Amino acid sequence: MSTSRPQSWARVSVILVTALVVLAPLALVFYQSFLDNPFFAPKVQFTLSAYDFVLNDEDFHSAFLNSLMIATGMTAIAVPLGGLLAFLIVRTDLPGRRWIEPLLLLPVFLSPVVLAFGYVVAAGPVGFLSLPAESLFGFVPWDIYSIYGLVLVAGLTHVPHVYLYASSALRGVSSDLEEAARIGGAGPWRVALDVSLPMVMPALLYSGVLVFFLGFELFGLPLVLGDPQGILVMSTYLYKLTNLLGTPSYQLMAVVVVALVLVTFPLVILQRRLLRQAGKYVTLKGKGARQTPLKLGGWKWLAFAILALWLVATVVVPLAGIGLRSVVSSWGRGVTLSDQLTLAHYRDLWQYPNLIRGILNTLGVGVIGGALSVACYTVISLAAHRWQSGWTRLLDFLVLVPRAMPGLVAGLAILWIFLFVPGLGVLKSTMISVWIAYTVVWLAYGMRLISTALLQVGPELEEGARVVGAGPHRVNMDITIPLIRFGMLGSWLLIFMIFVREYSTGIYLLGPGTEVIGSLLVSLWGTGDIDLISALSVINVAMVGAGLLTALRLGVRLHG
Amino acid sequence: MAELTVENLHLRLGGNEILKGVGMSLERGQVVALLGPSGSGKTTLLRAVAGLEQAHAGRITLGGKPVFDAEAGVDLPAEKRNLGLVFQSYALWPHKTVFDNVAYGLKLRGTGREEMRERVQAALNQIGLGKHGERFPHQLSGGQQQRVALARALVYKPPVILLDEPLSNLDAKLREEARAWLRELIVTLHLSALCVTHDQVEAMAIADRILLLNAGVVEQEGSPQDMYGAPRSLFAAEFMGANNRIEGTVAEQRDGYAALAVAGRTEDEPLLWGRLRADRTPGGPATGIVRLESVRPADGPGPNRLALDLVTSMYLGERWEYLFHRGPLKVRAYGNEALEPGRHWLEFPADRVWVF
Ligand SMILES: Nc1ncnc2c1ncn2[C@@H]1O[C@H](COP(=O)(O)OP(=O)(O)OP(=O)(O)O)[C@@H](O)[C@H]1O
Ligand SMILES: [Mg+2]
Repeated sequence: MSTSRPQSWARVSVILVTALVVLAPLALVFYQSFLDNPFFAPKVQFTLSAYDFVLNDEDFHSAFLNSLMIATGMTAIAVPLGGLLAFLIVRTDLPGRRWIEPLLLLPVFLSPVVLAFGYVVAAGPVGFLSLPAESLFGFVPWDIYSIYGLVLVAGLTHVPHVYLYASSALRGVSSDLEEAARIGGAGPWRVALDVSLPMVMPALLYSGVLVFFLGFELFGLPLVLGDPQGILVMSTYLYKLTNLLGTPSYQLMAVVVVALVLVTFPLVILQRRLLRQAGKYVTLKGKGARQTPLKLGGWKWLAFAILALWLVATVVVPLAGIGLRSVVSSWGRGVTLSDQLTLAHYRDLWQYPNLIRGILNTLGVGVIGGALSVACYTVISLAAHRWQSGWTRLLDFLVLVPRAMPGLVAGLAILWIFLFVPGLGVLKSTMISVWIAYTVVWLAYGMRLISTALLQVGPELEEGARVVGAGPHRVNMDITIPLIRFGMLGSWLLIFMIFVREYSTGIYLLGPGTEVIGSLLVSLWGTGDIDLISALSVINVAMVGAGLLTALRLGVRLHG
Repeated sequence: MAELTVENLHLRLGGNEILKGVGMSLERGQVVALLGPSGSGKTTLLRAVAGLEQAHAGRITLGGKPVFDAEAGVDLPAEKRNLGLVFQSYALWPHKTVFDNVAYGLKLRGTGREEMRERVQAALNQIGLGKHGERFPHQLSGGQQQRVALARALVYKPPVILLDEPLSNLDAKLREEARAWLRELIVTLHLSALCVTHDQVEAMAIADRILLLNAGVVEQEGSPQDMYGAPRSLFAAEFMGANNRIEGTVAEQRDGYAALAVAGRTEDEPLLWGRLRADRTPGGPATGIVRLESVRPADGPGPNRLALDLVTSMYLGERWEYLFHRGPLKVRAYGNEALEPGRHWLEFPADRVWVF
């Protein structure tokens, strides 16, 4: 039985609105995929011709195989490395592990396109690092434009995702268990293998599926690094389709979206299953497991070297690359960089009103939009708070739907909704459309942040208010919300960073008035104006960095 | 007049029947203690009265008005029942000051600012925290928090207040003081209270009547003297007080008394007589219960006396506790001095032994 009699109608209407906003875009895409013309065309007929075209397109086949390969490859890189780094940071006396942790999580908050640009300017054929390497070896010992380069970069940049789950699982393992094995005669590495690893296995499995799933959604990295060699993946194939037949080929795009969602949705369901299982171990943590760090001894420096190498390859190289690129006027063979230093690129930004709008819009959608989104997530979370019913199970499911839609797809679907629903058209070229798309895409993430905060609120605090005479709404306003306000503030900061870094969701919504840095970077990449791109990228990174510093300052937990 | 009545309440939690037809009533100005072992459903009953759990059958009436009636489909939400509830964990709102915690109930009732300030201040003075209104709960000691929780439940003068183990978070010494203080407060304010506890001493000290719950049903109900002096079941007898349990067989039965042949009895040992409190057949097994304080060391053989070996004496300050053995029989008793090791005679007054 429920412990409180909920004001069902208010809760149900919130859930119904969520359902509408979440399901309508996907339903429209499905509908479109069976048509022969854009859904708003005067005459449309049902047909499977779009499926016929896409499924027989060789580019689609190779895109699918590439996605599969990249997703597999990056999982194979990210999971072992992420698990290892988590073990080193959480369970050993590795020097400097305190300050390394926030750096480790940095790639999560950096835009993949920015990272990709960074790799291009640092390690591309004529990059800052490639030229010295070439003069040293006589050739460049790497090729980031190959599928291997792509897999490697994708794998390295997704290490933090594994780290997040592996480290929190490891924190839950009480060191008694390990000490028992030590006393039983096992050396430190045996203990890691025989005791710690099985305990974090569910978390590793979960993050493996997560990374594989993210690999399928990958867009920014393959767009920048795969395109020059014509390496297509599912999302870049979709992007290229946009104007395949001269006019936007809606039905083809819809079919690709359906194909993508058919792959991602089962993965999302699988993740949910695994997370529940992983949760069984997490409950062990309840009391805060006592832990003594493992002494690494002489291995310390090897461990530190691994960590430093990853950090340099994943964070330092691309960020330094893009930063350096933004302050030099030209680069290449025989150019002395110190002669080329300039701030001209930043000054040039001011000559493009759309770029200025993009910067302001990005800030706006991060600060104001982020706050509004957190408010929405809070309202939705409260609708399900302490209520066990069919409605809350429906909501659990609804939250998964946008998870399965890559940002690019969600942006497209929401664009179509704005085209389709009369009266919404006016909003299409305003930031409201972008904000809605962002809010929907990050629904699951935001809801998880808020529900983590809600979990901390003891039920008796709310029940106490009920007995004293407060109705459900008053309890929310006077007790629950004030108690989670720090959690909401933290969520706002995290959502701010996520929204500022977001690039794919805004692409199809990009137009005069709806520019954001992320989508501008993608469209600038088409023109190849690397001067502006690097300056804009640095501004983007600076915004995220400001958010990150504030979050660290306030002690916000970066793990959602 | 009954402030609160509960009739035939049935309640399920997570598919298990927790309350299986509980009935009780609480008269105005009375304190009823809900007593019972852990898991017997005390908290659940209290929460059902408060409106925080939903029963599926039965009736709850407050001040003559039904607040829950499964048949009539009446189920007033918690906030409309106008009760006071003190949680075991106190559940003070950490983001509100002591003053605001106490004032919240009045604010919800639309009390004017000036009156509210006065009443809250009066309530805080009453609990001896008049100067602590601006503090936050985490700045108070456990005992102070407990009193704030009480003030919060009392300030809007609910007809009935519900207390869930209000003293269990206090340490032993503070607990006894708080017990006396709570009883005094309840009596001077003429409160009607339903108080959950699993400590029978506390129940007897605080309450006018005790309701003993066992696995979701009322085992026995009565005044503390009844509960302690005339238990009607083995469970009630064993739950109240500190007891010796004597297993044996019924040898004789006469005038409401039964003679127990104690397990391991020798031929010449007297039978143990006690009040018969249940239907027992001669020759069948029976259990004798006698409170520790009723067993007396005796100077020699006699009726209703048994000889046992002293195992150890424990000094408790105001008295001694002895532990005697004889075969499977273990008996504890109190006395005023240390006893010599060896065999001793103990008397079990027939009026103080209950045979179940
Ligand atoms: N949410 C729940 N779902 C299922 N069973 C529950 C739930 N809450 C309590 N129970 C069960 O109901 C029974 C009665 O619980 P209750 O809290 O009323 O006991 P209690 O008498 O207050 O015990 P204690 O003295 O330990 O506080 C217990 O067996 C408990 O396991
Ligand atoms: Mg209880």
